[in-house]
Parts: sequence; C-alpha cells; structure tokens
Amino acid sequence: MPARPTSAGSSGTLSVTALTAPVAMGYIPLGMVFGFLFVQAGGDWFMAVLTSLVVYAGAAQYMMVPMVAAGMPVGTIALATLLVNLRHIFYGLSLLDTFPRSPLLRWYTAFALTDETYSVLTTLPRDTPPRRLALLALLNQCWWLLGTLLGAVIGTQARIPLEGLDFVLCALFAVLTVEQWRARSSPLPLWTAVVAYAVGSVVIPAHALVVAILLSIIVGAASYRKGRL
Amino acid sequence: MNYAYLLAVIFAMGAVTFALRALPFLSAHWLRRSPVVQHLGRFLPLAIMALLLVHSASGAAREHATGPWPELLAITLTCLLQWRSRNPLLSIVIGTAVYVLLRNWR
Repeated sequence: MPARPTSAGSSGTLSVTALTAPVAMGYIPLGMVFGFLFVQAGGDWFMAVLTSLVVYAGAAQYMMVPMVAAGMPVGTIALATLLVNLRHIFYGLSLLDTFPRSPLLRWYTAFALTDETYSVLTTLPRDTPPRRLALLALLNQCWWLLGTLLGAVIGTQARIPLEGLDFVLCALFAVLTVEQWRARSSPLPLWTAVVAYAVGSVVIPAHALVVAILLSIIVGAASYRKGRL
Repeated sequence: MNYAYLLAVIFAMGAVTFALRALPFLSAHWLRRSPVVQHLGRFLPLAIMALLLVHSASGAAREHATGPWPELLAITLTCLLQWRSRNPLLSIVIGTAVYVLLRNWR
C-alpha cells in the first residue's frame, strides 16, 4: 500500500473528529441518564458501566432498568431486547461492502452498530478506509461509556424521587421515529404500525407488540409484491 | 444486589443485540441480496420504531390515573422539536423535562 501524504492523514483524523463530535454531544448526556437511572434503581456503578460495555444499545438499556428492578426473568428481558433491537438486523445490509475485512475490526464494528453509529457510517463515502469506520464506532462507544460512568457516579451521590424520568425511553423512540420518518420512501410503514398495534391490543393484549411486529413484517413483505414502495 | 442474575441479564442482552447486528454479515449471499429483504430493510425500521413509541407510551400512560395526556403532550413536543431542530439531545431533554413536570406538579 502506498504511503499517504501527511496532509491526507491529518484531514482524515479531522473528519473522524468532526463526525464523532455530534455523537459525543448526544451519547455523553444520554449515557449519563442510563448510568443515573441504573444506580437510582439500586444497581452498582460498575455494573452500569459493564452493561454499556457488553450490551451497548441505548433503548434496550433504558428498558432493562425497571425490568431488572422488578426482578423479571432473564428470558423475558432477552425477548424484550430482541423486539427493541430487531431493526438492527437491517442496518448491516447497507454497509456490507464498506465494512472492514479484518475479523476483529469487522465483528467489533458490527457489535457497535447502534442507531447513531449506523447513521454516521452511512454518510461516509464508499471508499472510506475500513479502519476509519472501526475507529468511529469505537470512539462512539467510548462516549457512551464515559457518559454512563459520569451518570452512575452522580447517581450514587443523590437520590431524586421524581416520577417519570424513565420517559426518556419514550422520548428516544419519538426522536428515532421522526428520523426514520424523515428518511422514509413511503408513509405506509407508519400507518401499518398504528393499525397493527391496534389489532394486536385487541387480539392478544398481553403480547400486543409481538403481534404488531409480526403483522408489520407480513404487510412489509406483501407490499413488496404489490410494488408499493 | 444479585450479581448472578444481573450478569445473566447483561450477557443475554449483549448476545441478543450482537446476534441481530451481526446477522447480515453471516447470512447467505442470496438472502441479503434478496429484493424482499432489501425492501423489508426500508420498510421495517420506521414501522418498528413507531410500534415501540406507541407501546412504551401506552405502558407509561397505564401507570397513572390521569389519562394519556402527559404522554401525548410530551411526545408531540419531542417530535416537533426533533423535526425542526434535528438535535436528539435537545428534543429528548426538553420532552422528558416537560413530562416530569406534568407528572409531578399537576
């Protein structure tokens, strides 16, 4: 491989900084919210950090706090994680060709493919060096870990008995819905979801979400044949 | 704190999440190049995100007796802020703060 001029190298570093900075602005405070809620629910700070290291999925981590506090079965929490993160199956599809080839970088970048990292990686030009993808993914997880640590440390100092702080999960879903809506090619998925959830809550109220996701997959597959999207 | 239970939860969640994110890199070539799968990749993320929003909001609304108004108000505000500002942190912080205010000082 030919040696790169220094200027190209430094502009590359700059672009990584420019791309990871907005993620840091979001991940440090949102990671703090997770660390804080986790510790307020009675968890140890180092377990909060371990969760952000091993799981690394914002919405699922917010979701787990009340579930763990209620002592729900591991299988139930794993199933809920599956539903909340199901969309991540499709994130890799658009990045197959640009992903790093080396196994370690490749699997780490796949592991770290959160909503924000996905949206940053998809904005990169297709000829971006794969190592830079992995570096971006790693930096983003570092911000999330740093936020978690800060929030957990603050959470051990004071207890705040406010109701409704866990609404942060709803707010995160609202933000992600708006961003998916912005990127939509058709409004059909949204209306499908609304109708499917209504059907799910009538048919099997205890598993409305599972029913609704299955219905959405069926409608999604059927709408392809009709060429509606 | 039950460490065995918490570790089981953390590693189960980590395994599920990693499996989902890694699946496209493992699955057969024909499957990931299939036009139906590609179509589902465009269709499902919006549908699933809207489902998760409705599901989590209706869960929150069932925890108090004042009706779903705090949820509706805070989510509308969060969506409007995100649509205009494209700043997730701003939208989430203001939306959650308004919700906490509604729930604690109404």
